[in-house]
Amino acid sequence: MLSRVADALYWMGRYLERAEHCTRLLLVTEDFSTEILALHEELARAEWADLLAIFPGSRLTRRAFPKAAPFAFPYLTSFYLDDQNPYSTFFSLRKARENARAVREALTLEVFLGLNDAYHALEAQARRGIRDVPAFRDALSATQKGLLGTVGAIAHTLTRDQGWLFLKLGEAIERTARTATILIAKLPALLDPAPKTDIPLYYTRWRSLLRGLASLENYRKARGAQMEPALVLRFVLFDADAPRALNYGCRAVKDCLDRLDKPGELTAPARIVGRLCSRLSYEDREVMRRGDYLGFLHSVLAGLDQAHEAIAAQYFVT
Amino acid sequence: MKWAVDRRAFDEVFEQASRPRTHYEPLVSALESFTQAELDRRERLQKLSLLDQGITFTVYGDEQGTERIFPFDFVPRIIPAAEWRTIERGLVQRITALNLFILDVYTEQRCLKDGIVPAELIFSRQEFKRELLGVVPPRRVWTHIVGTDIIRDDQGEYLVLEDNCRCPSGVSYVLENRNLLNRVFPEFFTHYPVRPIKDYPNLLLDTLRQSAPRPSESPVVVVLSPGLHNSAFYEHSFLAREMGVDLVEGRDLLVEDGAVYMRTTQGKQKVDMIYRRVDDDFLDPLAFRRDSLLGVPGLINAYREGNVGLANAPGAGVADDKSVYAFVPALISYYMGEDPVLPQVPTYLGFRRQDLAYMVEHAHELVVKTTGDSGGYNMLMGPFATKKEIQGYVERMKKNPSNYIAQPLVQLSTHPTYVNGDFQPRRIDLRPFVLYGDAVRVLPGGLTRVALRPGSYVVNSSQGGGSKDTWVLAPRRR
Repeated sequence: MLSRVADALYWMGRYLERAEHCTRLLLVTEDFSTEILALHEELARAEWADLLAIFPGSRLTRRAFPKAAPFAFPYLTSFYLDDQNPYSTFFSLRKARENARAVREALTLEVFLGLNDAYHALEAQARRGIRDVPAFRDALSATQKGLLGTVGAIAHTLTRDQGWLFLKLGEAIERTARTATILIAKLPALLDPAPKTDIPLYYTRWRSLLRGLASLENYRKARGAQMEPALVLRFVLFDADAPRALNYGCRAVKDCLDRLDKPGELTAPARIVGRLCSRLSYEDREVMRRGDYLGFLHSVLAGLDQAHEAIAAQYFVT
Repeated sequence: MKWAVDRRAFDEVFEQASRPRTHYEPLVSALESFTQAELDRRERLQKLSLLDQGITFTVYGDEQGTERIFPFDFVPRIIPAAEWRTIERGLVQRITALNLFILDVYTEQRCLKDGIVPAELIFSRQEFKRELLGVVPPRRVWTHIVGTDIIRDDQGEYLVLEDNCRCPSGVSYVLENRNLLNRVFPEFFTHYPVRPIKDYPNLLLDTLRQSAPRPSESPVVVVLSPGLHNSAFYEHSFLAREMGVDLVEGRDLLVEDGAVYMRTTQGKQKVDMIYRRVDDDFLDPLAFRRDSLLGVPGLINAYREGNVGLANAPGAGVADDKSVYAFVPALISYYMGEDPVLPQVPTYLGFRRQDLAYMVEHAHELVVKTTGDSGGYNMLMGPFATKKEIQGYVERMKKNPSNYIAQPLVQLSTHPTYVNGDFQPRRIDLRPFVLYGDAVRVLPGGLTRVALRPGSYVVNSSQGGGSKDTWVLAPRRR
């Protein structure tokens, strides 16, 4: 496969995942902040502000919003519609489509139609603007459906060749890195040892974290309704079957690399990812015992960055 | 349902007001059976479908979003079998002669020595590549893919207006138009034995494989595109996808030891045949324009050494120069000993003193074009231009007369076209596509382009043109 095509498919996978991730986070944050606004406005505001930590390098849209606009408005606008924000849904979807257009011959018509349709719907939405929060919610839901439809078209229509592997490789790296970034942004507050004055609210925050990682249902299936921090952390870090757990994500990356490489070949990215997988498979007890989750997450994130660089050097530059 | 007819031009559908030609009768009846609301609904569907599928083109210099839909009109153009036979015969004859002409120009130059075409005209053309003198491509074919523009005059006679021997575009729209019409107006097809066109990508791939330096060794074929921002990128991608070959850009290729390779995730892979959609001048910065970022350094050398095939072969543009066009009937007689099957439009050449004087004096009656431009750019439509425009154009022409030609204004035929809820007459042309591998083959039909602006003669997509599905009817079975 052409290196340029592999590169574009890899990035298409990353941007599609990023677009879905951002859309989901906006929906979950909006839901959570609405629920707790009257109860704890400061926390509701902090949940929105977390987006700036989850997407480092992003900034809020420099635009005057009406004074009466809810405080969620600048965040919703910036992370959904602003195509200058490199982490907004619109920006990511546009980039995914640009990559898809550049290598359209490597995709099926169904995949391109799904992506193109989702993009045009969002572009029209951005042109029209959105007036209130319920309208944002509807639009976000529609975009999420469009994105999941595209991912479905990829699963159902693309042949499992190298192109597929690069697309899934990008998706897996992006997904795993995003999970790590969310945890890095959210855990300091959640693990704050100060006494909890409002226990139901405390558990609601953990539940919201799992929803942000599209993992609430999967967690319940695996662990039941018990929302214990240690169980949640073990699940999102080390579960081998949940698609947004770090362990599963790294294995997905490794699986793509194993299939891309010639039998018996151990490439630089395969070595890096192999080491990460090993840590996520065998260091669970130690990490849980030490409780240094942030240190561990930072090292996983650094490993994923290294893997990304090594993948680019191995496959995209010849 | 209102059908308007422009009496100045040949109407493709109506022989007389409200009396359709025999081959259009079933279509007119079918269209009249629809309510206005239903026609509008289906037109909306078709527009949505184009946008959803990303069937777009790019307009250079357009700062507003670069992607545009190529407007499609759902009233198909129908060509009866007998008419098509003549067109097909004329195209095979013409493309054969043009190919012989290019072979001659780059080898023996008999036609120049015999004075059929003035040598100074050829040697002064930018499209003539002296770097390629003596280089003969496999099968002695330069023009693997040709799009020849054909119009009909006010008497309904088919005339060749222009040959495109370099990188003719539009064939993807031919195929997509058929798909679209099939989906949106399936009823139309029940009345007509329309010749299929869907095998074009297979024929194109066969043509390219046959034209590779070593056709028997399963040649690796690629499509070379300038990239996403090129106006015809959709088509490049479409053709690569339909043929199942890689779509490459210049940066994906490299030349080593006289052979061409593409950069893949598994290292270098040899390339044997390139369907290039990059102009000659940008193909290789070592051979032509040094500032080209679209090309591949060393490509022309690899081609010269016979290690890679290029379609169309570089240098082929000398045959579609607008000045050379004037000599094509003579070239057909010279190489083939035949009279041209398809006539063409009388042409005045700026490089002939006598013609130039006429062009200056009659600019207000003529269509004047520069020889090196296409897409309807840098053209003077004398009868519709202001005095000031004509004066300015003539001044420019006088400074470099050999770069200009002129033709009388031909009343292009009109075809009913659905505009704002009515069937309005709009001017059309036809670009059939011809493939030349082991034989010359003509795709039945082609791209019918339509000037959507009322009264306009300019059918180019970049200037407000649209297109129609073009049906060639199969001969009746006996």
